[in-house]
Amino acid sequence: MFLTRTNIFTFFLILTAIFTGCKQSSTPTSEQIVVAIPADVERINPLYSFSVNEANISELLFLSLVKHSWDANTGDMKTEPMLATDWEWNSDSSSITLTLRNNVLWSDGAPVTLDDVIFSFDVYSDPSVESYLYGSFDCFPADNNNHIIAEKTFEKLSDTKLKINFIAGSSPSLFAIDFPIIPKHVFEKIPRKDIATAKASFEPITNGPFTFEKWERNQAIILKENPKSFLHKEGSVKRIIFKVIPDYNSRLTQLKNNEVDIVEYLKPEDAAEIKKSGSLTVTSLKGREYDYLGWNNIDGERYKKNKSIAPNKFFGSAKVRQALSMAVNRNEVISGYLRGYGELANSPISPIFANAVNPGLKPYSFDLAKAKSLLSEEGWTDKNRDGILEKNGKNFSFTLTISSNNPRRIFAATLFKNTLKELGIEMNIEQLELGMLIDKINSKSADAWMASWSIPVPLDLKFSWYSDLAATPMNFPSYQNKELDALVDKLDTKISLQQKNEIYKTIENILYRDQPVTFLYWVDNVIAYNRKIKNVEVTPLGAIHHCWLWQY
Amino acid sequence: MKPARLLLSFVKRAASSVLILFLTVSFLFVLIRIAPGDPAQKYLSPRLDSSLIIKIKSSFHLDKPLYDQYFSFIKNASAGDLGISYKYHRPVKEVIFETLPFTIFFSLTAFILQFIGGLLLALLALRNYKKFWDKFLSGGSLFLYAVPTFVSGMFFVYLFSVQLKIFPSSGIKTIGISEENVVILFLDYLHHLFLPVLILSLAGLPVYFKYFRESLEENQHKLFTLYLRANGVSERRIIFQHLIPNSLNAIIAYAGVELGILFSGALITEVIFSLPGMGRLAVNAISERDYPLIIGCTLTAGILVILSNLLADLVRMKIDKRLIKGLLH
Repeated sequence: MFLTRTNIFTFFLILTAIFTGCKQSSTPTSEQIVVAIPADVERINPLYSFSVNEANISELLFLSLVKHSWDANTGDMKTEPMLATDWEWNSDSSSITLTLRNNVLWSDGAPVTLDDVIFSFDVYSDPSVESYLYGSFDCFPADNNNHIIAEKTFEKLSDTKLKINFIAGSSPSLFAIDFPIIPKHVFEKIPRKDIATAKASFEPITNGPFTFEKWERNQAIILKENPKSFLHKEGSVKRIIFKVIPDYNSRLTQLKNNEVDIVEYLKPEDAAEIKKSGSLTVTSLKGREYDYLGWNNIDGERYKKNKSIAPNKFFGSAKVRQALSMAVNRNEVISGYLRGYGELANSPISPIFANAVNPGLKPYSFDLAKAKSLLSEEGWTDKNRDGILEKNGKNFSFTLTISSNNPRRIFAATLFKNTLKELGIEMNIEQLELGMLIDKINSKSADAWMASWSIPVPLDLKFSWYSDLAATPMNFPSYQNKELDALVDKLDTKISLQQKNEIYKTIENILYRDQPVTFLYWVDNVIAYNRKIKNVEVTPLGAIHHCWLWQY
Repeated sequence: MKPARLLLSFVKRAASSVLILFLTVSFLFVLIRIAPGDPAQKYLSPRLDSSLIIKIKSSFHLDKPLYDQYFSFIKNASAGDLGISYKYHRPVKEVIFETLPFTIFFSLTAFILQFIGGLLLALLALRNYKKFWDKFLSGGSLFLYAVPTFVSGMFFVYLFSVQLKIFPSSGIKTIGISEENVVILFLDYLHHLFLPVLILSLAGLPVYFKYFRESLEENQHKLFTLYLRANGVSERRIIFQHLIPNSLNAIIAYAGVELGILFSGALITEVIFSLPGMGRLAVNAISERDYPLIIGCTLTAGILVILSNLLADLVRMKIDKRLIKGLLH
């Protein structure tokens, strides 16, 4: 008989012997840094750096021609050499001549050459590759599919000197050439369509300050220092491990337990307790993400039916939207939920862009009386005294859709619902799974929603505020303003930085006035890291950024 | 003649299983495509050109009519090709085979512990029938059953990983451990999996305890037990050769279903301990609308449920010959 007492006893005895014999071995050694990430990456190939973590890992493994650092004084970025040691623009900025660093090697020993550079531009812009830069090489001579024509674009002046020609009249910048260079000798052997699923996308050949050691799927990505890299310094981090920990509480426990060294996106309520720990530093990254209340400016049903535009019955009028912005007490969320890790937002132009932001704008204050009068000017009054405003017999009653797994938005929505009720507006809250929420917003089916935008650096407004709805799918509120379009278009022309900043201020005024959405608050990314890491630089560009500068 | 009929009944069963799997997968194929959400949604980002989504949708063949997608899926699937996962960018089969061994090992260990643990505790309870240990175990098992896994999980992590520092709080093995020494690697796996297996076993243990206790209690009072006792058969023989085999029938049917469920993944335990199991794989596939992987996970879970039930039936037949007779009539 299998289940005898002796057998069972022996089984448990063996188990106990094994476990007591084991010592805990997962504590990180002092020479490695463990970064907690909530989800595994999809690929380790810079062509497909779709997520922030993929971009962070790419940055450590692959060098770009130049690198950009944040300059807090100007609220802008400064360019520094990487693979290119220097560069020179011609007189009308229609071409640039770069000098390539000549002592850089790929991790398989092959030298990094200008052929790799030219090949990279070709592959990134190739439509069949579907890279993350697909469709963004506007300034380069390209065919109808936006695929760069190498013969027209590049002139090899010597083994290390390369001239890049841009389209006449375009306004190129160094951002256009800031992306990781990939090895030609590896990728040229793979048909372009197959790069996305090729082995080279999972076991990369690299040229950066770190090399790829191992990827334990859904567990960890391990990178080790590259002593041959020109960025390598004595005392820099030997290994960086990106550890996949999907559960927030587990990330927190492991941080306190010194099993991981950096955790991002802490809940503000946990920051105070973590601060008390002697071994951890809490800091925050400001101004990259804002929450907003989205108002569908147009009649979504009608647009879906025949693409025609009619104002939304509730939110079509700027005055109503202004009133709504006055009727939500944003400060209460900042103090009650964000606990100071946030600030009021006026527009999509973040305060981090010190020279572009308009310092004169004062946030809409919480003022129910003024909101009421604005609504009554628009015809929304409570004639039948049932406590709900109405216009043409229609009650001001709508549904706010939010994502079901975001406690911050659930907190805020509940709060806003109550103040709106005081004003005579009935707001129902609908919680949806994220994918369903995006679907609803994207298809213009939602009347009102709460979501957030993570803003791109450098500043870009065209993707979400341009009137052409077919060409701007991320203009979720369907806000349309010709004046704003003209200004946004002007930003793409050759103008000085000062002129650009003036345009940004004008744009900000317009958006502030029209309140296409109610800009709520800039939400900080609260970050905690172990004090053993020195030189951590938390800038708007990220916390896991330029990690080769980290030291013990 | 008899073996032929037995074989026939198994062929019938296999055919109906295949039909069930086919219908499930077909239904799911259509359902996930008409449900809200879109696999290309994640490419909707300020960093990316808006035309990329259209391009990616077309490479996923999502721009084709539903029936086109379905027929090419059926054609490929019947040749064993479940497609490429949208998230992992590798064949679905490869992704699943990478996850499955862990899940099978993990669930099977927990299952065995639940089963044996439940039986042993039931025996202990019956030996102290209606005395302290019996009452304590009955009350305790109810308590254990009522505690959700995420609570017990966090508690054990706090106790064993944070305070006592005996067991690691997450992962399947030490990150970057050398794979050369198989013994150390194996011990490292066991060390990491101790807490998760314990949590998962504790969740199911009370059920087996209750089943065993009640079933054993019932048989203990039956006439055949009295007869055996009167004939002076030893208590040990009565328990192991008569009481347990007679109690197993209903429990094994339940265990077959339970094992199938365990095989489809233990999501909460996997998330708390960051384990790469089928539960996490399937849920992530759903939230990211990774259609080929959703189908792959469902198909795998379906096959495992069917196999576990088949296994349970075989075990029951081995124990109780009357079932085979029933099948033949």
